[in-house]
Amino acid sequence: MSLIDSIPEKLGSTEPWVEKGGVHWLTASALNVRDLARTMNAMQARFVTITAYQLPGEEGLRLEYHWDLDGQLLGFPFVLTGNSIESIYDLCEAADWIEREIHEGFAVDFLGREYEPLLLRQGDKPGVNLREEDE
Amino acid sequence: MSYKIPMGPYHPALEEPYKLDLICAGETVQDAKLHIGFNFRGIEHLAESRNYIQVIALMERVCGICSNIHTLTLCQAMEGLTGLTPPPRALYIRVVVAELERLHSHVLWAGIAAKLMGFKTMFMTCFELREKVMDVLQIISGNRVNYSMNRIGGVNRDITDPLSILKMVEALEAEMFRTVIPIFTTSTTARLRCAGIGVLTHEKAVSCGVVGPNARASGVPQDLRRAAPYAAYSEMEFDVPVQQEGDVRARLLVRALEIMESCKILRQALTKMPPGEIHTGDSKIAFVTGTATSRVEAPRGEVMYSVSWKEYSRNPSRVHVRTPTFANMPAIRWMVIGARLADTPLIQASIDPCYSCTDR
Repeated sequence: MSLIDSIPEKLGSTEPWVEKGGVHWLTASALNVRDLARTMNAMQARFVTITAYQLPGEEGLRLEYHWDLDGQLLGFPFVLTGNSIESIYDLCEAADWIEREIHEGFAVDFLGREYEPLLLRQGDKPGVNLREEDE
Repeated sequence: MSYKIPMGPYHPALEEPYKLDLICAGETVQDAKLHIGFNFRGIEHLAESRNYIQVIALMERVCGICSNIHTLTLCQAMEGLTGLTPPPRALYIRVVVAELERLHSHVLWAGIAAKLMGFKTMFMTCFELREKVMDVLQIISGNRVNYSMNRIGGVNRDITDPLSILKMVEALEAEMFRTVIPIFTTSTTARLRCAGIGVLTHEKAVSCGVVGPNARASGVPQDLRRAAPYAAYSEMEFDVPVQQEGDVRARLLVRALEIMESCKILRQALTKMPPGEIHTGDSKIAFVTGTATSRVEAPRGEVMYSVSWKEYSRNPSRVHVRTPTFANMPAIRWMVIGARLADTPLIQASIDPCYSCTDR
């Protein structure tokens, strides 16, 4: 079994990898982001980034977490029902700035951490950057 | 007693603004806090209001040094959403321009590093060489900064006479081997000024997710040209220079050695360039609904674009850019802790930061 094939089992998922758009995707509804970060750390995968998407209407937000494992880009999508998700900053130092950027851009609250302004130099209201108003 | 020294946003060493609050005890830095955002332009948001041609021109302006890399990464992602595959010649041309851009970036950085070392003659030499690299890029593209080379399904301009470009590259290579490379690899000045300062340990490089030459200077042997080849890199033979020390000298050495590797790649790409079309020729481009991601090894490290599109739409619904300096900059904190205050400008410059990229 290759390294990448062992990941779903480690995360307690029975879903297969789906390769699409240059990324190996693992979609599992019961996936916990902190367990994911711990597993990726144990496998010595390199954290790449988190991409945030605002879904249409009342569907909320989707965060896609990306790690690199031996040149393969892995993607793990999380749909947020509210505006929050647990922070992985304490487990994965490399996630610090992108969590701060998404907090400012989309008003996502990463639970368990504090923020300092990153990109926006004025004003305290998060979510004024990329998130559409009144949504 | 400790005190805070604000450095920036008008940086003593670099042209772009960012701020570093240094907590010092005497001359020794105890901690540092970074502030960015002075160049924030909301480019990701702007991209959502640009069509598939305009968005290429927009993203080319994310960075003034690696402008081509941004359009290359974006076009590769958009090709994933359109099903278009560039012809082989276009892939070779993409390699040539990407490597010339790497040369230009590394030589520019070497000049700035030399200036910060107090080696101003070397600064002049590097900038003279950089001008020559830009001359080659101008001959190929007609431009010196924003080359407008990439399009969906190929490139906009052909290299009609690769062998004449090869002669220019060989002349450049000879001059670099005569001046830049020996100075940065063997000179006592460079060694004394750079060895042992601004150390980023292997462990910290891994935990911070540092990329590119900065990672390779801390013993992390990652290079997307090798690990996940794109364009025509799978057909090129080259080495990935890696150093273990993690100090400023290691970062200097890695970039100097990469200049040599870039010349090696350029020689191969220009010699073996296959004949044929330079783009698919599609005038109407149809996107499928979905997200495509592309990664490229820029001069400063990995660039990643995630592009989302809805079918029949002319504009992307989301473009997310993760630039290398965004990954590299937080590591500056760990590089300057314990350093002498006077060394911090050189340490900061040693990661070859690009704040325009970082802020977008």
